[in-house]
Amino acid sequence: MQTLRTLWARLKGQAAQRQEDEALDEEIREHISLLEARYISQGMNARDASRAARRQFGNVTTLKEKQRALRGILSPSEWWHDVRFGARMLAKRPLSNAAVVVALALGIGMNAAVFTFVNALLLRPPQGVSETSKLIEVWLHNPKSGGVQSYFPFTFPDYVYYRDHTKSLEGLMAFDGDGTQAIWNRQGNGEILRGQLVSGNMFSLLGVNAAVGRTLVQDDDRLDNARQVIVLSYPFWKQKLNGDPNVAGKTIVLNGSAFTIAGVAPSGFTGLLVATSPDFWAPLTVQDRFSHDTSRMKEHNYWLIVAGKMRSAADRQAVQAEMHLLSRQAYFTHQSKNDPHSSTPVRHEELLDAMVYPLTLVPGPFRIYVGAFTGGLLAVFALVLLIACTNAASLLLARASGRAREMATRSALGAGRARLIRQMLVESLMLAGVSGASGIAIAGATSRLLIQLKPASIPLTLAIPMDWRVVLFTAAVSMATGIVFGLAPALRASAVKTAQVLKEESQTAGRKKARMRNVLVVAQMAACVVLLAGAALCVRSLMNANAIDAGFDTHHIALATLDAGSLGYPPEKVNDFYSRLLQRVQHLPGVTSASYAQFLPLGTSRISTSVGKQLIKESDGMPVDIFRVGPGLLHTMGMPLLRGRELTEKEANSEKPDAVIINQTLAEKLWPGEDAVGKRLALGDEKTMSEVVGIVKDGKYHTLGEGPISVVFLGKLPARRTLVVRTQGDSRALLDEVKHEIPVVDPLMAATDVQTIEEYMALPLFPARTVGWLLGASGLMAVVMTAIGLFGVIAYMVSQRTHEIGVRMALGAKRSDVLKLVIGQGILLTIIGLAIGLAAAFGSARLLSPLLYGIGANDPIIMSAVAVGLATIALLACYLPARKAMQVDPSIALRYE
Amino acid sequence: MADQKSEVLQGTLDLMVLKTLFAMGPLHGFGIARRIEQVSDGVLDLNEGTVYTALLRLQQQGWIKSEWGTSENNRRARFYSVTRQGTKQLDREAENWERVAGVIEKVLRLERQG
Repeated sequence: MQTLRTLWARLKGQAAQRQEDEALDEEIREHISLLEARYISQGMNARDASRAARRQFGNVTTLKEKQRALRGILSPSEWWHDVRFGARMLAKRPLSNAAVVVALALGIGMNAAVFTFVNALLLRPPQGVSETSKLIEVWLHNPKSGGVQSYFPFTFPDYVYYRDHTKSLEGLMAFDGDGTQAIWNRQGNGEILRGQLVSGNMFSLLGVNAAVGRTLVQDDDRLDNARQVIVLSYPFWKQKLNGDPNVAGKTIVLNGSAFTIAGVAPSGFTGLLVATSPDFWAPLTVQDRFSHDTSRMKEHNYWLIVAGKMRSAADRQAVQAEMHLLSRQAYFTHQSKNDPHSSTPVRHEELLDAMVYPLTLVPGPFRIYVGAFTGGLLAVFALVLLIACTNAASLLLARASGRAREMATRSALGAGRARLIRQMLVESLMLAGVSGASGIAIAGATSRLLIQLKPASIPLTLAIPMDWRVVLFTAAVSMATGIVFGLAPALRASAVKTAQVLKEESQTAGRKKARMRNVLVVAQMAACVVLLAGAALCVRSLMNANAIDAGFDTHHIALATLDAGSLGYPPEKVNDFYSRLLQRVQHLPGVTSASYAQFLPLGTSRISTSVGKQLIKESDGMPVDIFRVGPGLLHTMGMPLLRGRELTEKEANSEKPDAVIINQTLAEKLWPGEDAVGKRLALGDEKTMSEVVGIVKDGKYHTLGEGPISVVFLGKLPARRTLVVRTQGDSRALLDEVKHEIPVVDPLMAATDVQTIEEYMALPLFPARTVGWLLGASGLMAVVMTAIGLFGVIAYMVSQRTHEIGVRMALGAKRSDVLKLVIGQGILLTIIGLAIGLAAAFGSARLLSPLLYGIGANDPIIMSAVAVGLATIALLACYLPARKAMQVDPSIALRYE
Repeated sequence: MADQKSEVLQGTLDLMVLKTLFAMGPLHGFGIARRIEQVSDGVLDLNEGTVYTALLRLQQQGWIKSEWGTSENNRRARFYSVTRQGTKQLDREAENWERVAGVIEKVLRLERQG
């Protein structure tokens, strides 16, 4: 502690050197003049008094020097000297330094790029919001279960209860976690807008003031008197309404209802949820204009993300305690009010605890998963950086032995060991500094590239700014890098035995030095094996994933999502719209078939129920996924029908599920060894049995890597559905035509997610693609760096042993002997590195297994391919310097030195 | 006269300065030097400049603090005073010194045996 305090005092002293110098001067002057005055009063003359005073005080210059050394870490002039000298030394070898800088910059840059995502997702507070440190979010948690599934957003009644009863919070706000879509009637044409439903107190609690007009207020959000008002986002107002300054008070038609524009939010504000940027905000109480879900304001519908503002940033413990209490009170209050004959199924009869998290853009319960993913990526790139570091270290080590004489001379001239270490560290820190600066630039470019990996179908807009946190992180990483790769060479270089080095003429590289470099090469090789094995596995798995049979065609299909119900049409009008649209689309040139589905497999939506052979209670059946489809959908999607037929128009429109199609897995489960067509089954809580009319081939429904899942296809499509169009030609060319047809049928309608099936598949392939790309890139970088590292070490060894090789050849060694000598050493290092690396790879590859498709984590072919590939590269890296060694001319080598 | 003066032992000056400040209250460097001179009865051969090095060391450890004030000459001077931490440290150091001094004294008293 005391040491830390002294160090801090010294650091401060370093900063205030000049000021302190002046203060000391003043003190010394005063002291001496007081001494003089005393001598004069004792009867001395002025000259003698001055001399006596100075003698008594001692040597002023020495004192000042000593004070200065004591005060700071070192004097500014020494710093400056080190930096200038370092720059001169670095400029002497521009090529090899450039190589080191490029490798380090790549390593640092990739780490910084991943960090920009960590920053954007986990560290950056919501923008445009004041007092973020006081904000918290609250999640309901089921203590009896685990994982993401154990966390719930709030129901509306729960939110109201907590809001009205909390005392520790200044206020509690809520917003719609899923966001909402609305069709904007723009002069007779429909346009899709994204909105967010928020509680009326949100803007005032966040301290967000309107740029134009006013924000939403509590009075807008009353259950008994809901106002149809919205606040527009700044970009929407600027781009779509041309920044109309008189926009407040005007009317805008959303989903067929008129909304009054209250005002415009300030430019930076995008809400409290990551990667969403709503076009408008509307009060919670008008949610029925945007959603067909009639149970949203009731219990058991968990859809609200709840955030609160504390009175002081230190209150979190107290708030958590109160939330805990409120969760019990709310439970018992609702319990007593609960109507025992309620028809809504009770999802949770258990008590849900309320958990408090500091508010960031990623909701609390999910933070750990985002953190684990980005942390894993950081670990991978840290390994790449480590390889780059070992490269730099072995280069500097080689150089350090070349500079042994310089070090010895400087040491003989009185430089202490600490001084020499510092000089070497300044040089490596300068290298690291340059690398860090280039790394930032690389990070800027790659993070934009990384965001391209995001499937286009997810309407997320993630801002990834290079703010001070990223710069700080990069600076810290660069600094650490500089010390990591610079320390060993610095210690080595400074440990000079002056007399020995200066006396000895020959340049035999010390055994110790060689051992150190060898260890580095082995470590590098091992790290490279791990990375490369990971990369190869992921790339192979990506290839497999692309080749996985999803159970439907992944080409020649165009998709568009529509919601005719959002315009408030009655069911007949909805059906009429869809059948007219289907007719038009079917007649487009090149279209072979078209149909509707509620949603497609492998998407984000999922509905499950239970199935049995008799009409029984839900809990007794086996779980199945259900997909609601129109007639001809299976054919349009290219899902092979194994037996039976598709649904007819009448069956698909029927209210009751008279006819269903099931997949192979379900058929096998219910009627093993029998023909399922014609058999009858009972679905969920349906009152009547359904007849199986067809059996479809198994596909993938949740993820590409899943095992067999039981699925039922049935009719009765809801108002929100996906149009599926199959074409002979290019599906991309079809998109515009499909988009064009929609307003022809109804000018107010607009489609979302108009995309090709290839674009749609980007979502299920996303994990494999991201990891495949990133690990592939890191593996490639690792191989290049390792090859350069090995080459450097062997080349250096050859140059150091030129003399020895010359002697050997003069004594009759053949060229092949020399080759064996040089390559032998490289091979030995390679084999040791490979062995360690393979062991580590077998251990760590298991972490990847959940992401791998159709390949074992310890796939022997991949592992041996990695080993052989690396060995070949290593051999090449050794061969080039070995060839140079063979060409050594003994007479020249012996005369050398 | 020279052989009657003693050098200041390494490390003891800090303790002397600390104790002086503790006993006398806030003083400037000149005042500290005078007080030590007075107490030592001119036995110590003190390079008065080294007082400032001791002051800086003590300050860096947080045992004393300084403030600008006015000297007898009516000019600006830095006045040093002991902090609470310094007072505690003084007890420890004094105790330590007495222990060491005691040992040295015992060693010096050893009679030649045999």
